[in-house]
Amino acid sequence: MALLTAQNLSWHVNTKAIVEDVNFTINKGQFVGLIGPNGAGKSSLMRCLYRVNAPTSGQVLFEQQDVWQLSAKDNAKNMSVILQEHSDHLGLTVRDVVSQGLTPHKSLFQWDDAQDVATINAVMQQMDIAELKHTPFQLLSGGEKQRVMLARALAQNTELVIMDEPTNHLDVHYQTDMMAKVKSLNKTILASFHDLNLAAAFCDHILVLDKGKLVASGAPSQVLTQTLINDVFRTQAIVDAHPVNGHPRITYQYHV
Amino acid sequence: MVTLELRINIMFKVFSYSVIAVFILLLSAVMAVSFGAANISSGDVLSVLFNLVGADTDVSDIKQRIILELRIPRLILAFLTGAGLSLAGAVLQTVTRNPLADPYLFGIASGASFGAVLVIASIGGGAGWAVGQMSITTGAFIGAALSVLIVLSLAGRGVQIERMLLAGVAASFMFSAGTSLVLYASDPEAAASLLFWTLGSFTRANWDNLWVPSVVIISCLILFLGYSRALKAVLAGDETAKTLGVNVTRLRMGMLLLSSLLTATLVANTGGIGFVGLMIPHIVRRLLQSHQQYVLLACVLFGGVFMVWVDVLARSLVANNELPIGVITAAIGSVFFLLVLRKRSWIDS
Repeated sequence: MALLTAQNLSWHVNTKAIVEDVNFTINKGQFVGLIGPNGAGKSSLMRCLYRVNAPTSGQVLFEQQDVWQLSAKDNAKNMSVILQEHSDHLGLTVRDVVSQGLTPHKSLFQWDDAQDVATINAVMQQMDIAELKHTPFQLLSGGEKQRVMLARALAQNTELVIMDEPTNHLDVHYQTDMMAKVKSLNKTILASFHDLNLAAAFCDHILVLDKGKLVASGAPSQVLTQTLINDVFRTQAIVDAHPVNGHPRITYQYHV
Repeated sequence: MVTLELRINIMFKVFSYSVIAVFILLLSAVMAVSFGAANISSGDVLSVLFNLVGADTDVSDIKQRIILELRIPRLILAFLTGAGLSLAGAVLQTVTRNPLADPYLFGIASGASFGAVLVIASIGGGAGWAVGQMSITTGAFIGAALSVLIVLSLAGRGVQIERMLLAGVAASFMFSAGTSLVLYASDPEAAASLLFWTLGSFTRANWDNLWVPSVVIISCLILFLGYSRALKAVLAGDETAKTLGVNVTRLRMGMLLLSSLLTATLVANTGGIGFVGLMIPHIVRRLLQSHQQYVLLACVLFGGVFMVWVDVLARSLVANNELPIGVITAAIGSVFFLLVLRKRSWIDS
């Protein structure tokens, strides 16, 4: 079932096309990776999807409904977003940051009730951050911050979770830990990646963006070929099967 | 699931904190009212209060009048000023995500001061005071509104924080220059009273001019509390706040206007009192630690009580003379910041 659809989506700055005529569909339950070289327009495309950049032409449909016909609040009940860079949150604790996820579900003067408190505690438990509850967010490590972001997305309780470079700045342990946690959510995921091996390991479907255009779309084994990596990423690579899991494994050739 | 026990536990906590807060407030009030030029004891204050509710204790008529008509309105005005400026500071710091934001940084207070000073200078410093109170308030509002208009018109699309801060600094300097010019141009007598006014004082407090600031502060507090979820979401950054369903531009604009209204009302009644809006939210955030959801309420209590004691200092530091409030808050505030910085660098190294 189609959950999110980009239809002839273009986004221009002045007259320059940053995202150009992009078409794709994300089905419910899919784990979709968005890859592409620096400056390909990944973040701009994602901003169009989560209703921050208004498309110059074309549409973004969530369950067949144009996201710009919804209010920001109603859209926030459909999708949650985890960005690359995090604000310091002016001394807010982990618990406070997680509770931000409830924002779209509440009206003015509506405080947290017993059910909300229970939800917040449950998602913190699920993301292994319960013991960090009272720690100021700005004191956390990069990996812990990402867990808090995931917990907030869980509290927001949306079908779709969009993530911009979720593994950026993380060490090897936290990269795999983060991806395993994301996979365990059982949500529809769209995430952008720089690490092609991580994308190959965790995604069911991969979208490749180059100079604002969608140049490939399909299963990792179909998309991640030597030719594509050479053409799009301008890097020589050997692609074979991962010895344990069988998904494509990319080995870059370095000129040393 | 949440157990009944946990719920009772939370209610008990809230209740006991409220009791402590009310106790501190009442204690400060009774003690603060007894300080001053006339010799009045805490016992006298309590007697007068008991008389109000029907008891018949013997307090001299003059003491009773000093307490009821001078000291208590003054106490309330001091409390309102501290509470209002701290609230405005806390909200501005939140919507700009800048811990250094306060009503002064955005030129709101300088604009209000300029407007008020202009009115005072034109009606004269003497008998004009009483007649001119309403027009001083109007002048302060126009000045504050003008400064907000300048800041917003330069803030760019989406009310960008950096541009807003820079525009605020520029507007602030511009209006301060205007105030200095008015001071320079007035005759010495008027200049002296203007100067005393710009430094802040609660001497003009009476029952008639308390209701406007009370209504404004209570309405603003209610609105701030109503929007507290959106305010918390803005701390995540503009883009994330949008994805949490908050209309960031509209929220920031609305909060800026409310803070201006708060500041202008207070400046019109008390003159220029700096550093409170900056310092109190900082202290409150530190004290509350993991209970940041109570920042606004704590700012009201802490800011109000702080200002009550600043007023006590102003009345009692120098015998037979009253110091300007702004001088004391600025002195305490700057020392406070030096200490915070010292402690920080000590921790860092």
